[in-house]
Amino acid sequence: MSVSDGRDAAGREGLNRPHDTAPLVVAEAVEMSFAPRGILARGRPVRAVAGVDASVARGEALGVVGESGSGKSTLGRLMLGLLAATGGTVRFDGTPLPRPGSAAWRGLRARMGIVFQDPFGSLDARRSVGAQVEDGLAIHTTLSAAERRARLEAMFLRVGLDPERLGAYPHEFSGGQRQRLGIARALATNPDFLVADEPVSALDVSIQAQVVRLLADLRRDLGLAMLFISHDLPVVRHLCDRVIVMYLGRVMEEGPVADVFARPSHPYTRALLSATPMLDPARRLTREILPGEPPSPTAPPSGCVFRTRCRHAQPACAEEVPPLREFGGVAHRVACLRADEIN
Amino acid sequence: MRKLWLPGAAVALIVLVAVLAPVLPLMDPIRQDVANRLAAYVPGSPMGRDEFGRDVMSRLIWGARSSLAVAFASAAIAATLGTALGLLGGWFRGVAEFLAIRGADVVLCFPPVLLALLVVTLLGPGTGTLILVLSVLYLPGFIRVSFAEVLSARGQDYVEAVRALGARTPRILLRTVLPNIAGPVLVQVSLAVASAVVLESGLSFLGLGVVPPTPSWGLMIRGARATMEQAPMLLVWPCVALTITILAMNLLCDAVRDLADKRGGGGAPKLRLVDRLLPGLFPAPEGPRPLLDVQGLTVEIAVPGGIIRPVEDLGFRLDPGRTLAIVGESGSGKSMAATAIMGLLPPAARVAAGVARFEGEDLLRMPEPARRRLRGGAMAMVFQDPMSSLNPVHRIGDQVAEAIRAHRDVPAAKASAEAVALLRRVGIADPERRARAYPHELSGGMRQRVMIAMAIANKPRLLIADEPTTALDVTVQAAILELLAELRREEGMGVVLITHSLGVVAEVAEDVVVMYAAQVVERGPVERVFARPLHPYTRALLAAVPDGDVEPEGIPGVVPRPDSWPPGCRFAPRCAFATAACATPPALEELQDQAVRCVRWRELSA
Repeated sequence: MSVSDGRDAAGREGLNRPHDTAPLVVAEAVEMSFAPRGILARGRPVRAVAGVDASVARGEALGVVGESGSGKSTLGRLMLGLLAATGGTVRFDGTPLPRPGSAAWRGLRARMGIVFQDPFGSLDARRSVGAQVEDGLAIHTTLSAAERRARLEAMFLRVGLDPERLGAYPHEFSGGQRQRLGIARALATNPDFLVADEPVSALDVSIQAQVVRLLADLRRDLGLAMLFISHDLPVVRHLCDRVIVMYLGRVMEEGPVADVFARPSHPYTRALLSATPMLDPARRLTREILPGEPPSPTAPPSGCVFRTRCRHAQPACAEEVPPLREFGGVAHRVACLRADEIN
Repeated sequence: MRKLWLPGAAVALIVLVAVLAPVLPLMDPIRQDVANRLAAYVPGSPMGRDEFGRDVMSRLIWGARSSLAVAFASAAIAATLGTALGLLGGWFRGVAEFLAIRGADVVLCFPPVLLALLVVTLLGPGTGTLILVLSVLYLPGFIRVSFAEVLSARGQDYVEAVRALGARTPRILLRTVLPNIAGPVLVQVSLAVASAVVLESGLSFLGLGVVPPTPSWGLMIRGARATMEQAPMLLVWPCVALTITILAMNLLCDAVRDLADKRGGGGAPKLRLVDRLLPGLFPAPEGPRPLLDVQGLTVEIAVPGGIIRPVEDLGFRLDPGRTLAIVGESGSGKSMAATAIMGLLPPAARVAAGVARFEGEDLLRMPEPARRRLRGGAMAMVFQDPMSSLNPVHRIGDQVAEAIRAHRDVPAAKASAEAVALLRRVGIADPERRARAYPHELSGGMRQRVMIAMAIANKPRLLIADEPTTALDVTVQAAILELLAELRREEGMGVVLITHSLGVVAEVAEDVVVMYAAQVVERGPVERVFARPLHPYTRALLAAVPDGDVEPEGIPGVVPRPDSWPPGCRFAPRCAFATAACATPPALEELQDQAVRCVRWRELSA
């Protein structure tokens, strides 16, 4: 949700969320361009995120959905401060994020955590899992080894792992257990903000549900602000309060999950939902196959970035970038010029 | 640990003997005794005397001191400095990279002997000079190896994770990056030590290294050469010492590297056992002939602990124009079953029992050449990862044309035209231009379309698709599934779809086989099985799908490993309905058009 308009945002939040606190992390018009690097590099920079507003409050889960190349992972790293935005600002707890690598930035790491997608690549195969989960404590606290050990054991129990296995190595754990280890590592320093970047995409469906449940419990019990990045819409629907739908670095639609899933109003959101396989034939939407391929992020289409694949596109769509505007519900916003006509 | 013991002891012994040379009861290595010149044996000198009558054994041991000191010292200096430079260059890039890499290149430009000559001329010969020369010579190797390893390690999620925790750069480099690049660096150390011993000998031999009369192996070889014909053994002793030392060093470094690698694994032994199939056990089915009829398919793999069965007694039948889905969690054996049917099992695995009749002919007992004619012809397979299945150095049009020409005798021009038509058929826009593209120039969805074009190139009657859309975005997945459905409708192709996505099964398949721990636990028409699952596992799997309004429910635990299957029902340890009756293995019970493997299914579905 955008807070570019403070008055507006305050009004919406009161209605929209039970946890009525000021946003903890706020991104305002953030942009991220990756310039080609090296002396001989040529070509245009890739604009992975092009002016996105987003905010997450304590105890709130914001879902970010989109396909490969939509910029959702980059947005997550911008809000964590792992990448320095090339435009716009990200504020954490009221202050702009410091430059990556600075002392202030390092100190802030204790208050933010990240969980990765790949349960294999995200753990160091050559160090014991206990040592890896302990890293954050060793870096940010002055706890004694015994105190750290006690915290570690408590953390293992909290994420449903046996503390006896602190000394084991990653290959001795299953995919679901490794994801629990990743969560334990991210939460060891008791952070306020957690970014989960496709944390269940690599897991079997039976294991997915366990990990999603764990994340939901942790968010509730610890009052975490959570950014949940996923391409799996049904999972977002169950875990998140609000959702942002991204395409080619821009927000297409955003709003409370129930609203967006019940009344998808952007043609892209509809295509995405209709493409999601559903168990129950009654729930299936008429499938809309998107024609063509996603355009290159180095040369995005003018105006609406989705227009090249949109069956409702008109010449006007190439003229201006459609602004996000309220449509069909409180805090439900859509970036489509023709939203009124096609819905 | 056991692997470390032997080479460790050997190296320790060599080093110990060299270190203890002054206190060992040896003769003076430089005392000459011209009377016993070149004597093969003198009391007190078991290896004889050299050309000046000096004791060979004593010189060998004292020589080890200088040879090994030079080798270890130069390897250690080069390893420390080179790894540090490589680490910094790979991590910080920019100026650090330029200095480290270009510096290494400059050193590499000098021929080693020339470099040695230059340094010796400047500093004069001696052990110190030799160490300096060798360190400089080995430096580029360490820089290059560690630089390359750091580059690949720094992009890993686990490095990003430590960075996200706020670790300082030295901590990241020492605790996370260094252990992960240690393997190749250790190998490089063993190579450097071994080659330093050799180079020391060579340079000393040329008079550029250790200065006589100090003994070294190189000098001993140099001295022995002049008297090779009178006393050949003089040449043998230092060479044997060299060989043993180098071998022991190499073994030690390999063992240390394996020990430092905590990733486990080890891998199953690659065994290809004689196929001992028992024909005639399975009757041919009655009624209209199915396209594919699999019965009792069992796959075995010999592992150190015995034999495991990743697929056990699998059975199903597929009629033309229909889609059968095989679903299950990772480790359920579904992909192994598909590769067994296609005859593409990995070398360690073999079909132990069963039949798989394709249009009446048993694929499992067919000789490989006949099976090869079918593969890519009448039956085809599509894999999950299109990038690894396409050849990166050939244009995609040529690859599709190649698939055509592998099975049909058509001229190249006609095959190319057909390839373009196929690319159009699978929905690739502008196929004439795309046919000239290389795989890396296409998106994942396009590559999967190319794979499908190759698979359908010869109008297969059976298509086995192993997770064909798992790596793709949902909108692309929808397009690919639509394409498969269309091909099936229009060409009457039968499809075996292996997937873990129940949503995909619900949308495209008519029949479903649910596998758990190598066994079929339930089988039947999709609508029936999904609407009224009989097996608790099918139920639990459906309940885990986050689709609908009910909160998804996970299944506790994980699929057991093939070497530790529960004795009774394999799902019992994770099953909410398990009772004492589940301790005996349940049989697959065939109902009218459904099958279920559960002793309690009747009471549970009542």
